[in-house]
Amino acid sequence: MVDMINRVVVTGYGAITPLGLNAEDTWHKLIVGTSGIDYISLFDASDFDVKIAAEVKDFSPTAYLDPTTARYTDRFTQLAVATSLQAIEDAKLRIDDTNRYDIGILIGSGIGGLGSMSRQIEVLNTRGPSRVSPYFIPMTIPDNAPGQVSIKTGIRGPNLSLVSACSTGTDALGIAYKMIKYGESKLMLAGGTDAAVTPIGIAGFSQAGALSKNNDPKKASRPFDAKRDGFVVGDGAAILVLESLDYARSRGANILAEIVGYGATSDAFHITKPLESGEAAAKAIELALADVDRAKVDYINAHGTSTLLNDIGETRAIKRVFGNRAYEIPISSIKSMVGHILGAAGALEALVCCRVINEGVIPPTINLENPDSECDLDYVPNVARTGDVHTAISNSFGFGGHNSVLAISRYSEH
Amino acid sequence: MDVLEEIKKAICKVHPGVDDSKITSGALLKEDLEIDSLGQVELVLALEDALDLYLPDEELDGIATVGDIVSLVESKLNG
Repeated sequence: MVDMINRVVVTGYGAITPLGLNAEDTWHKLIVGTSGIDYISLFDASDFDVKIAAEVKDFSPTAYLDPTTARYTDRFTQLAVATSLQAIEDAKLRIDDTNRYDIGILIGSGIGGLGSMSRQIEVLNTRGPSRVSPYFIPMTIPDNAPGQVSIKTGIRGPNLSLVSACSTGTDALGIAYKMIKYGESKLMLAGGTDAAVTPIGIAGFSQAGALSKNNDPKKASRPFDAKRDGFVVGDGAAILVLESLDYARSRGANILAEIVGYGATSDAFHITKPLESGEAAAKAIELALADVDRAKVDYINAHGTSTLLNDIGETRAIKRVFGNRAYEIPISSIKSMVGHILGAAGALEALVCCRVINEGVIPPTINLENPDSECDLDYVPNVARTGDVHTAISNSFGFGGHNSVLAISRYSEH
Repeated sequence: MDVLEEIKKAICKVHPGVDDSKITSGALLKEDLEIDSLGQVELVLALEDALDLYLPDEELDGIATVGDIVSLVESKLNG
């Protein structure tokens, strides 16, 4: 058997975010520096220290799912189905008997159906085991998202979920990229989804000390700013269509960008804190760039959570890899605007890298008002910038010490 | 009490995708209304809550049509 190494291209995407119900609206809000963060409306947060979140607004699950399925799916699955359908339409992908086994799905979720789990535990505790919904388990398990996408679309190739906290979206894309690169699948729908803006989700992240307690919603997420005090949880999903270059050509697909590398490492350090030296994160960046000339990286989409430790560690990691050139590469964190959409974050950030490459506009890091001597790189403060970007990297790091990085380039035939 | 009407209400509540004109005594839960085994459990929970009665698992085994549920519920209400 001949070893099969395929080039892997992006041919479509979908997104539902705190800034919009599709990728287009989200992008246009990002490049004008709009914040999608506001006071929590999904539940009464008056007793909570944290009263803000980046909620998805006005999403109607029945626009994508029949009413019965919508009733028995958690929001994280509804968002995944909706964005998958958007991505399929964007990629002009037709799924039929000639290709349904050639297409796979890899949709990760950091937490799964936290809201449904919370409600059913309440039923168990107040009314007893015989009142728990028979849909509780399927509603809650993270792989319900790719499962429902398969049922809805008729895709019958590999169907997987993946969990690596806030690295989930990047890892899902990275593993899907490898599956196509090494010939295990011709096309993958891949990305992430999460809907953790629930009482238990906000309480849990807050107690871990991870969240901003700033009660000015538009100012709370401030990556790399000296006055940052934590991240802002958000809901959302983003799905990309990845396929082999040969398959894309065979079906006449419009190629948006090429995935040229993926690197993943672990800190082996702490369950929530990142390694402050940035050593393992730097190694992940180097692995993602194993086949790419480092000097060609001209945009970094930062993990940039707005926590004290992430932003310093990430800055150090970038300096370790790029040396003095780190000061010349524009870096931005869209979490300043969309908050931290957890398992979907890396997928949305990869999508944004594709837009940056295609449109020559770099979204800003908003709320960057007070310089921090330890965060002294060019984070594209406050205002978007034009820039001819050929190769971008997208960093994601997660609780548990995950470091995951994708490298994405402008597509050229050679 | 119009038991069929109560069952219709419960089906529409827990299976909002079902076309209510199809909910007749003779309608097969699975084939006609597309209510699978999980959906049947959810329906039983809703009926028990709405009518304040208990439908034991062993008596649900042979249920196939809406009419079967009507008969079972009536036997509990009269029993």
